[in-house]
Amino acid sequence: MSNSLSRRNFVQLGTAFGTALLVFAQSPRPLAAAAAAVSGNPEAFDQAQWASVEAITACIVPTDHEPGALEANCVNFIDKVLVREDAALLPLYQAAITALDKEAQLHFGRSFANADENERNQLLELFEANKVSHWPDTLAINPQQFLQTVIVHTLMGFLASPEYGGNRQYSGWKVVGYPGPEHHMGGYSRAQVEGRAAVLPVWAVKRES
Amino acid sequence: MKNKTRIYDVCVIGTGAGGGVMIDQLTAAGMDVVALERGPFLSSAAFNEDELKTVIRRQVFAKDKIDTYRVDQDSPTEKGNIAEIAHCVGGSMSHWGAWAWRFRPDDFHVLSKEGPVAGASLADWPISYDELEPYYYRAELDFGVAGDSGGNPFGAPRKQAYPNPPHPWRPSSRRFAQGAKKMGYTPFALPVAINSRVYGNRPACMYGGACRSNGCPINAKASTLSVSLPRALATGRLDLRTDAMVYELPLSENGRLLGARYLDENGGRHEVRARQVVLAAGAMGTAQLLLLSASTLFPDGLANGSGLVGRNYSYHHYPGVAAVFEDDLRTYTGYEAHAAVDDLHPSDSSRGFIRGGVIAESNALSNQPIAFAVGLHQFSGHPRWGLAMKQRLREFPRTMTFAGICEELSMDGNQVDLDPDTNDKFGLPVPRVTKKNHPNDAVMHRWFCDKLSELAQAAGASKVYPIRMPGAFVDNNEHLKSNPHNHGTCRMGNNPSASVVDKWCRSHEVPNLWITDGSVFPSAGGYNPTLTILANAYRVADYFVRQARSLSL
Repeated sequence: MSNSLSRRNFVQLGTAFGTALLVFAQSPRPLAAAAAAVSGNPEAFDQAQWASVEAITACIVPTDHEPGALEANCVNFIDKVLVREDAALLPLYQAAITALDKEAQLHFGRSFANADENERNQLLELFEANKVSHWPDTLAINPQQFLQTVIVHTLMGFLASPEYGGNRQYSGWKVVGYPGPEHHMGGYSRAQVEGRAAVLPVWAVKRES
Repeated sequence: MKNKTRIYDVCVIGTGAGGGVMIDQLTAAGMDVVALERGPFLSSAAFNEDELKTVIRRQVFAKDKIDTYRVDQDSPTEKGNIAEIAHCVGGSMSHWGAWAWRFRPDDFHVLSKEGPVAGASLADWPISYDELEPYYYRAELDFGVAGDSGGNPFGAPRKQAYPNPPHPWRPSSRRFAQGAKKMGYTPFALPVAINSRVYGNRPACMYGGACRSNGCPINAKASTLSVSLPRALATGRLDLRTDAMVYELPLSENGRLLGARYLDENGGRHEVRARQVVLAAGAMGTAQLLLLSASTLFPDGLANGSGLVGRNYSYHHYPGVAAVFEDDLRTYTGYEAHAAVDDLHPSDSSRGFIRGGVIAESNALSNQPIAFAVGLHQFSGHPRWGLAMKQRLREFPRTMTFAGICEELSMDGNQVDLDPDTNDKFGLPVPRVTKKNHPNDAVMHRWFCDKLSELAQAAGASKVYPIRMPGAFVDNNEHLKSNPHNHGTCRMGNNPSASVVDKWCRSHEVPNLWITDGSVFPSAGGYNPTLTILANAYRVADYFVRQARSLSL
């Protein structure tokens, strides 16, 4: 298993999470332009699309007593990845957001970004159930698969290294209790591995970017 | 000096466990070797803990590979990037979890021990554990295995201690051991080819936690990339060519191989000449290349007079459960698995199945957070979004995996062949996998899942849930499409009509063709295969060099 479990997880996502696998399988070599992703200027989305995607991410990982996708700037991660590794998915995102806003207008008379929390969740339920009135027949995936793709992208944005434009101020790692990659900071001591010594998270010893 | 007419002593195809050892041993013996690797060269500098780059984007895997899968001849064929095969120097060892097991003596005599089983094609190895034992030790020495000598009462007998002492245990290892003891089992330190101290010009492990699925940034984890290839390159006798996809092994009129023909990244065609050819492209790639090399002499594929090239393709089954505890398990430290139990390994037909496997703790689900967060979605009933989902994310540092490696029975109909309908970007037919479970696999899998669940509860887990991985809910309608553990497509044996290579892993039919990867395994064993591939390659290399010196090749 060793060299395998995670990959089996992701392969399994091919069935549980059809389009997610598409997301994972993209991109030949490392992200070349990661540093540029920290800039918050939209590259893939226009203002309205940005607002819609940001609103979806806020439903996926809501804010409670700790930051959610909004504070982590997951929309920025998605905006950047859609002009890089997952550029092939940008047209799909744009068409799906249009369909989402039409659906919001139909049910609630306003755009998704302007809908309230309860209304937004109802709309996502319609996507999950594949009951969307204005879904373009030409799209390669269905509404449920689109929602799954945004969920995966949001989780990546929440939990990938901040250099990719999300996980702002390590907010995602703080929420889940991950101290960050410590290898390049000297790794863990025997006492830390054994649970006898505290682990200092990367943000406690590293200057915030 | 890369002109066409140069004739190398040996051409090795593939640089993973089987190829890397041959490259090392043959260059050390003074031979000139050309190695052809279809992936790129990623040095340790390319590896870090950037989960997005390494695990999610699958750094070491071929991105534009195509292969196909079907359950059996009557089932529809699915096309995709399905097989889990690393394409880079070091092969799958670049990202392995470094579990370094010796097979048990009975693993070499499955047919004799179990007798024929309906629907299965069990076979004995033409070698015994005792013949391989010195080479296991050689592999353990070179790859610096750290372990608890004598800690596993069910393991293969050892003559020497492991070269390195065991690593510290994290809280998850202790939890696993606690549960195991309550169940009456004997937990022990899982042997790993990861340095527990400075050894072999490589540093000690820094316990960064993320080495499963990642290359090691400091080479504390051993691989052919960090052990064998550097040594071979230092001899000056290795010509290593990367991004070189071999598509044909051309034959002379007298039935000897002339060398290999390969495509570079841009589809440019090249040929190398060599007196001997060692094929180690993985059980899938090796079978594909032999079948691609059909000729008038070998109309059904090179060295395939037995008809067994590509047949008896076997994987492992991985039963598993995830378990949530109340305390921080530190699964983001260390490496994949520090503790194991082997009590369930010995074959016992009263359990309702034959053969068995090893079980261990694992941080597979919870060493890094994206795999955890996205992985949770594979469990039915997991909240898709919202506060309830966020709450589940917070279980990250308290979650661990209990997992098994179980022996699959070989079946003649499970095979790799060439897909008649699908070509790759170069126009070559892609490998097609036809693969279903034997009923024994499904029963064993469920039994192990139940045991792992009991063990997790005995360890004090507050919540246990099955991992929905391929094979985790096996029944006869659910089959394993792909697997990082690949064996069996070119069985070794003494009978030329029942095997592809002889006991020295030399083709029965083509005298200068050798195969040294997992494809020569007659059975899969109930452990990770890599140390056995390494040991077998050392054994073959030893023979190869002796034959060369007596001018008998």
